[in-house]
Amino acid sequence: MTRLLPWLYLAAAFLFIYLPVAALVLFSFQDGGLPVPPFEGPSLRWYADILSDDDVMAALTNSLMVAVASAAVACVLGFLAAYGLARHVLPGSALIRGLLIAPLTVSYLIVGLGLLIVIQRTGLGLSLFTAGIGHVVINLPLCFAIIYASMGAQQQNAERAARDLGADEFRVITLVTLPMLAPALAAAFFLSVTLSWDEFIISFLLTRFDVTLPVEIWSMLRSGLSPRLNAIGSLVFLISVTAVLVLEIFVFRKRRP
Amino acid sequence: MSTGHQRLKGPGFVTPALIWTFAFFVVPFLVMGTMSLATLEGRTLVWGLSLANYAELTEKAYLWRAIMVSLEITLTVTVVSVILAYPLAWIIAYRIPPRWQRLALLLAILPFWTSYVVRSYAWLLVLAREGVVNQTLISMGLISEPITLANTRFATVTGFVHFFVMLLTLTIYANLVQLSPNYRRAAMDLGASAFQTFRHVVLPLTLPGIVTGAFLTFVLCIGDYVTPQILGGNTELTVPQVIMVQLGRRADFPLASALAIVLMAIVTLVYILSARWLRLDRL
Amino acid sequence: MNRLKTALTGTTVLTLAAGAAMAEGELNALVWCDHTDPGLIEPFEQAFGVKVNLREYEGTGAALALLEQSRPGDWDVLVIDGIDVFRAVDAGLLAPLPDEALPTDDFFPQVVMAENNSVDGVTYAVTEKFGYNTISYNADKVDPADMQNLSAVWSEKYDGRISIYDYYLPVMGLAAIANGIDTAGIDGASLAAIGSTLGEMRARAASVAGVVAAQTALATGEVDIVVGGGEWLTAVLAEEQPELTWTIPQEGAVRWAQSIGVLESSENKDMAVEFVKYITSPEGQARLATSSCFWGMPANAKAGEFLTDAQKNTLRWDEQPDYLARTQLYPAPDTDLDIEMQDLWLDTLQQ
Repeated sequence: MTRLLPWLYLAAAFLFIYLPVAALVLFSFQDGGLPVPPFEGPSLRWYADILSDDDVMAALTNSLMVAVASAAVACVLGFLAAYGLARHVLPGSALIRGLLIAPLTVSYLIVGLGLLIVIQRTGLGLSLFTAGIGHVVINLPLCFAIIYASMGAQQQNAERAARDLGADEFRVITLVTLPMLAPALAAAFFLSVTLSWDEFIISFLLTRFDVTLPVEIWSMLRSGLSPRLNAIGSLVFLISVTAVLVLEIFVFRKRRP
Repeated sequence: MSTGHQRLKGPGFVTPALIWTFAFFVVPFLVMGTMSLATLEGRTLVWGLSLANYAELTEKAYLWRAIMVSLEITLTVTVVSVILAYPLAWIIAYRIPPRWQRLALLLAILPFWTSYVVRSYAWLLVLAREGVVNQTLISMGLISEPITLANTRFATVTGFVHFFVMLLTLTIYANLVQLSPNYRRAAMDLGASAFQTFRHVVLPLTLPGIVTGAFLTFVLCIGDYVTPQILGGNTELTVPQVIMVQLGRRADFPLASALAIVLMAIVTLVYILSARWLRLDRL
Repeated sequence: MNRLKTALTGTTVLTLAAGAAMAEGELNALVWCDHTDPGLIEPFEQAFGVKVNLREYEGTGAALALLEQSRPGDWDVLVIDGIDVFRAVDAGLLAPLPDEALPTDDFFPQVVMAENNSVDGVTYAVTEKFGYNTISYNADKVDPADMQNLSAVWSEKYDGRISIYDYYLPVMGLAAIANGIDTAGIDGASLAAIGSTLGEMRARAASVAGVVAAQTALATGEVDIVVGGGEWLTAVLAEEQPELTWTIPQEGAVRWAQSIGVLESSENKDMAVEFVKYITSPEGQARLATSSCFWGMPANAKAGEFLTDAQKNTLRWDEQPDYLARTQLYPAPDTDLDIEMQDLWLDTLQQ
């Protein structure tokens, strides 16, 4: 019995974890107008509805753009900071590390509210761009932490060797450090993309006419119960999971010896 | 090893990130702090050094109650999530053969990638009176009448726990697999029972991972607006919900800022209490 | 970039001074969600060769703050709660509308609401849509006769079977009506009575719900009554579940109305007026009435010519004279009373 217990627990845990996803996906194929039992279907009408909705498709593109751009900026800034702190002796480096990590301990709502106030006061105007700025703020600490943590002595020795052979700092970074850090950089980049892609409250507060997908879904959610929500939710899940699996198989698996 | 040449260059690498953090995080935060000391008279914003917004927290019962509700929900969610995630991470790390572990872990956290707004909505469907849970319980004969699950604190907590169990499973698993099996083996060899091994060896060694995960759970949970808004049925309001009401209906930025500062203060307090075990820069 | 374009177009239009200029350009509108339906907006965009940018907002307070902090040319059109038009006018945000361009003669007379839409004889906004915050219910689960009496609605009989719509103004308006207080007469002194009715409602309610949560709760049998509901809540559900319906009780109910106006700071006023004319035209009105976010009665009675019988049936076209006579506008508190009402509302929720 005690041997079985872990497996029972595992089964129960997976049931709990997959319950909402299963309900979501099942009722995305609902033939009727409401995503509640009884299930009548299957039908693809709500997928057709979503795919022909220009606003939803525009929001999807916007989300992708903001996610990739903000993740790239966060990674570059995070890498530079990690390199500076790991390879150079700086005064007050503990303080600097603390400051760079600090946004991690602050709720997204507070980051968004603060930026909203400043942007309104300066009359800068809200857009996807300002939402992207907010996303860099929340992703920079993660990128920094991930990259900083993987800058071990092993890389340092390789860098020193390169330097001894006469490489300047730029060449050391591009030819030695970056390739060795590629897995950490990829992890930081894709984590940032994931978080930005799905982030709601900052985008909600900081966008104007063009919105990201979570904001578009939120306004759909406010405008009425419909299997459209299930369809878009399932679609987003499908896209994300495909990306995760592709990365897992083609990028991260290779890392392993 | 650091030459003078390098000492000059180091700051150059750190500066862009520092400028970004300063301009888009520190400055907004300071402005928000200043805003919390301003007041709204009619619709006119009056800058000043007034503590009126903070005084309102004690004067207006619903604001104080919101802080309590947020704390209760967040603490419940954090504790329940850790208790549920630890065994799951343990089973994946120690019961599942190594070659299947990565797959099991990935499966355990895959629903993490459902859209966050949609995830709460999906729970609303699951917990509804004629939803999956009620129908299953009735068909199993456990209850005769559907019970009210949606639009309650239970629903909010369930929605949160679902998300954070995945997050914590990931962080705790990462901790468990880093532990050398020799520790456990040594304890067992010295005659410790499985429970004693866990209590005196594994748990202390994984505590930093647990605390770090729990801290992140606390921060993300207490600041979240979407989950209680969709699942809680507005029968009680959390601080983020009250903040959004102030912004959305009244544009009362000063009061919203004061509430945000209170949230910050709570998180800072929790940070100080757990700082001993926190490893935020080694996620 | 957008702003630059808008500014340039604005200047061009002014230079040409060509009345309803057909210039390429953009129109920025701050609206309610029913205006985001492409079926409503696209015909206008095609006819005038403009791109209409839409932004939804939640409360009037937030919209006014946003507008006050914006720069000239940022916004052209505003959709606003009919009772709040005067607040926008007081803040100097709305531009006068040309009376002769508005088809108010064709409107249901009760919803022209000149006292709301104009100040000192100058028209600043025009009603575009209206409906009711009243009682939505499941006819299979409750006694329809009970729904004719507000105090029976939140009586012990329906304990835990009720959801309250999550907007303080209409719900407090209903509470006032239940107490025999006119919505227009709500003041600091009457809040005690309203608060106690609100407390009773809250004690009976299973939830306080936004649109989707209320619809989900009704459709799944979580609750059988939504206080503050109406055609805008049940119209989309009625097709699948005809037992979900709504009524106006004997005591009456609250009427909502939304208005549309042109912003003083707009640099594209002619096009903005064209947009207002389109929205209030019979075709535009019919599209707005049945827009995807929520349905509601068009202010322009001629819209009836463009609606199908089924649509009119759902909107209860023929019963409007009776409904209009028996309902009162939402409460329209001034800023101080508004804060008191919101605080009372939040206090009641948190009990």
